[in-house]
Amino acid sequence: MTESAQKLVLWLIPLAPLVAAVMTAALGPKVLRERSHLPCWFGLAVSVVCSLLLLFSIGPQHFAEDSHSAPIATGYKWIEVGGIDVAVTLRADAMTSMMLAMVTTVSLLVAMFAAGYMHGDPGYPRFFAEVSLFVFSMCMLVLAANFLLLFVFWEGVGLCSYLLIGFWYRRPSASAAAVKAFVVNRIGDFGFLIGIFLIWTTFGSLNFADVLDRPERLVALAAAEPGRITMICLLLFLGAMGKSAQFPLHVWLPDAMEGPTPVSALIHAATMVTAGVYMVARCTPLFVYAPTALLVVSGIGAVTALIAALIALTQFDLKRVLAYSTVSQLGYMFMALGAGAAGPEVATLATTAAMFHLFTHAFFKALLFLAAGSVMHSMGDVIDMRRFGGLRRALPITHWTFLCGAAALAGVPLLAGFWSKDDILAVLSDASHDAAHRTYFYAIFGVAAFTALLTAFYTFRAYFLTFWGEERFPEEAGHHPHDAPSVMAWPLRVLAVCALLIGLAVGPTHWFASYLHHTFGLAEVESHGFHVPLLMASAMIALAGIGVAWLFYVRSPQLPGQIAAAIGPLYRASLNKFYFDEIYRAVLVTPLRTLSWLSYWFDRAIIDPTVDAVGKIPQGLSLLPRTLHNGLVPSYALVMWTGLILFVLFALGVIS
Amino acid sequence: MDWIGQHWLDWASLLLIAAGVLWLMPGAARRPKVVGVLLALAGTALLATRVDNFSSPIGESVLFWLFAAVAILSAVLMITNRNPVYSALWFAIVTLSTCGLFLLQFAPFLAAATVVIYAGAIVVTFVFVIMLAQQSGATMYDQRSRQPLAATIAAFVMLAAIVGVLQNVGESLRDSNPRPPRRTRPLEASSADVVANPLSGLAADEPLGKMHAIGRSLFGDYLFAVELAGTLLLVATIGAIAIAPRRRRGTL
Amino acid sequence: MTGDVERYLVVGALLFVLGALGFFTRRNLIVLMLSAEMMLHGVSLTLVTFSRMHHNLEGQAFTIFILTVATCEAGLALAVILALYQKSNSLDVELWTDLREADLPPPMAAEDAGQRPFVPPEPKTFPRLTPAGVVPDIRDEHDPDRVDDAASPTAESPLEPSKVEDVIKTAVR
Repeated sequence: MTESAQKLVLWLIPLAPLVAAVMTAALGPKVLRERSHLPCWFGLAVSVVCSLLLLFSIGPQHFAEDSHSAPIATGYKWIEVGGIDVAVTLRADAMTSMMLAMVTTVSLLVAMFAAGYMHGDPGYPRFFAEVSLFVFSMCMLVLAANFLLLFVFWEGVGLCSYLLIGFWYRRPSASAAAVKAFVVNRIGDFGFLIGIFLIWTTFGSLNFADVLDRPERLVALAAAEPGRITMICLLLFLGAMGKSAQFPLHVWLPDAMEGPTPVSALIHAATMVTAGVYMVARCTPLFVYAPTALLVVSGIGAVTALIAALIALTQFDLKRVLAYSTVSQLGYMFMALGAGAAGPEVATLATTAAMFHLFTHAFFKALLFLAAGSVMHSMGDVIDMRRFGGLRRALPITHWTFLCGAAALAGVPLLAGFWSKDDILAVLSDASHDAAHRTYFYAIFGVAAFTALLTAFYTFRAYFLTFWGEERFPEEAGHHPHDAPSVMAWPLRVLAVCALLIGLAVGPTHWFASYLHHTFGLAEVESHGFHVPLLMASAMIALAGIGVAWLFYVRSPQLPGQIAAAIGPLYRASLNKFYFDEIYRAVLVTPLRTLSWLSYWFDRAIIDPTVDAVGKIPQGLSLLPRTLHNGLVPSYALVMWTGLILFVLFALGVIS
Repeated sequence: MDWIGQHWLDWASLLLIAAGVLWLMPGAARRPKVVGVLLALAGTALLATRVDNFSSPIGESVLFWLFAAVAILSAVLMITNRNPVYSALWFAIVTLSTCGLFLLQFAPFLAAATVVIYAGAIVVTFVFVIMLAQQSGATMYDQRSRQPLAATIAAFVMLAAIVGVLQNVGESLRDSNPRPPRRTRPLEASSADVVANPLSGLAADEPLGKMHAIGRSLFGDYLFAVELAGTLLLVATIGAIAIAPRRRRGTL
Repeated sequence: MTGDVERYLVVGALLFVLGALGFFTRRNLIVLMLSAEMMLHGVSLTLVTFSRMHHNLEGQAFTIFILTVATCEAGLALAVILALYQKSNSLDVELWTDLREADLPPPMAAEDAGQRPFVPPEPKTFPRLTPAGVVPDIRDEHDPDRVDDAASPTAESPLEPSKVEDVIKTAVR
């Protein structure tokens, strides 16, 4: 591809969805109506084609050569004030084009599914306009070549997330969830923004190329001021924690399931929530000089993964199980990223592993959500797993595709999740060979392995509860629930194939790893072979989890109840999500409310009267002179005349 | 303070005129007019002794004081009369007296033009409007004046200031030049004057009031202003036609 | 400065001040405008005096412009006065105070506010003459009934003097 063609492709990727969004927003309600999905489909299809073109045009060219000459397209100077010089610049390297391919493909499939799922909704055009806008923002986020642009579209995807969570804004719970997501994200964004400021004061530039691609400068800075890099990294990670729902900011993601299910699949499973992982991975060259920050990343990831997996064990809401699973898997990715604390080589491997898991996770988690959406669609929007069961005969397509996704998530050998999860475990075990943090990473490794077991268990618990057992339908579903129509079935099938094969295609062949190694700023490293014992152990863990689930929910369904009764407090803690919302309410929300009430009172009782009193002074002073303003022209003339007399007398020196 | 004391006769004359005006002001009480007129005349006469040094030819002085007295008295009566028709007529007399003063000042063309325009056009228009807009009988608003005392004080304080300035300047000139020339002489034309209005100046021996010179000045120095004034007249005509109310067909 | 110039200036100032005084105190719109015209007279006189003082024509030329402006002003002002009269049927300037402070009462003279009752002055009486000779026949040819019989003079009932005025007014109308 020539350079200009590459630039065109680069611009087309985000702009096609933007045009679709504008078109749908403008024409949707009056002209397109039931065809509102068409611009979105078309725009996304253009993006997919362009992304794939980009993917294959970047790859071969950079495998052998200098990996730093990424295609760059500068649009225009955006801000040029003093020392700040920010341009709207797109740049694509291996990591970017990989993300783009994933984002656009999943988005297109979800948009197709949504055309069936959202059919008949009064907000149909709005939905597709917002989804297109989201894809635009996400592509720009991924393509951004500087921190400020990244931040702008970071907020952009946050806005779209807010809009789509609150899509059914008449429902109080939906709008509350939207506000919650927005506010919790704000906390993270605050840190992110401070981090960006700090980057600017430290490096004098916000371009990735200037900040991340100057190893000699980073080394010098790390030697001179190690604390500053650690600070920057921690603040950036705070932003990632908000966006990627890491403990303790994870509380918004499960509530975000109030949005339409395709939105959950697209934004809150596959794409947006991985932006945090992407950002940290993008800044790996910075993070390797802040091992402390990486340890924090790893620790937070481990805690999140464990807690979310434990909560997922007991939830009865199918989408919520998947949401906690998403949180848990994101924690997994951060665990992997944190393994970079062991050194630059491990950092490269860690980034690769995290991005690989992100890549595969996007496909099978989107698949799982869409399948859950299909279940909801058939069950009349009932999502409580206690109210239906044995759906495998009624919904065969949904059943099989869900099974594919569940198996991939659980890490059944040879499926997508198996390879990526194994990569992460391998990286963690590599990190634990490092002398400095040996014990720490042993613990992390243990948590990862245990979480893998829990993952396999809760995934198949959901699967068995939904599709096995006695056939039951909720009354909302009517008598004959129908399986997904073809517009919904085909995306499911495609995603199922991806979930089955994509790991096998790019994992064991090292295609992914060797492709991603040519992201700029990553240290060159030979990817190593497989840990066969690790592979075996991983497979065993997955199968064990599935087996336990089968035992509990198919073989002897009374067992879970007994166990729950035996460990009562723990069970209730898990069921109630470890009381995070209640704790936040008591620790944060109530004091803040009290404080704001106090501020309100102070404003009303003290500040307002003071200001009013100050305002009364000129009012009082004006009581007399304003009577001069009586509207009568001769009276005005007399006043003017008096002024003239005073002036003349003053000029004569009679008065002084 | 001694500045005031020195000129107390000036102030007394102004006070007399003011008292006359105040006496004549329309109000609830009906006062005999003749008292006010006499007060004003007395004040004018006193003022005459203060401002005139009686160095002019006697003929000019007599004419001047005749016209001035008529003008001032008519002005007082104009602003105090309860009937607007009489006010308009007194105004016509003020105009004619002023024109007489113009004539004394070597401005015959201006005198003629003022008579034609004011007495011939403006006063007639005023009377027409009074005819169109006058209510039958005496109206309350013509029988009462607004704030007569305050307004009179304000007006005459200003007058006192002006007279004081004139006296001051005159005195200082007299002090510096004890024997003033009998006739006005042209100030030496500075180069700035020549450049500013070259056609408005007059040679030292050229009489003041020639129409030829006025025309040269107007259509030479002030040609642009004359054009503007013509435009202003046109605009005012259009504006007056636009503003004036339409009445029923067949009437004015 | 010599007295013969000064005295003209004093007269000009007096005219100007008296005009202003009329503008301040009178309430009739027409008299207001007349007062304003008189202020212009004062200024014109002053300018002409200056012209003589400096022995050039600038003052006189300026006076001509004052004449022009005064004409325009008079024309426009009278048009406005007529328009106002059509609206309010009165020439009282105190009716037009809409631009005052919104919460102030309109500035009214004491009589308008009802504190001092306004007693209209006695109508003026003019000397009357008894009719001499034959009273003309003022009967309308086209509308004979229009003239009031009681008012029309006959030999039996000679006219009261006041009736004569009525008859003449009717005829004029």
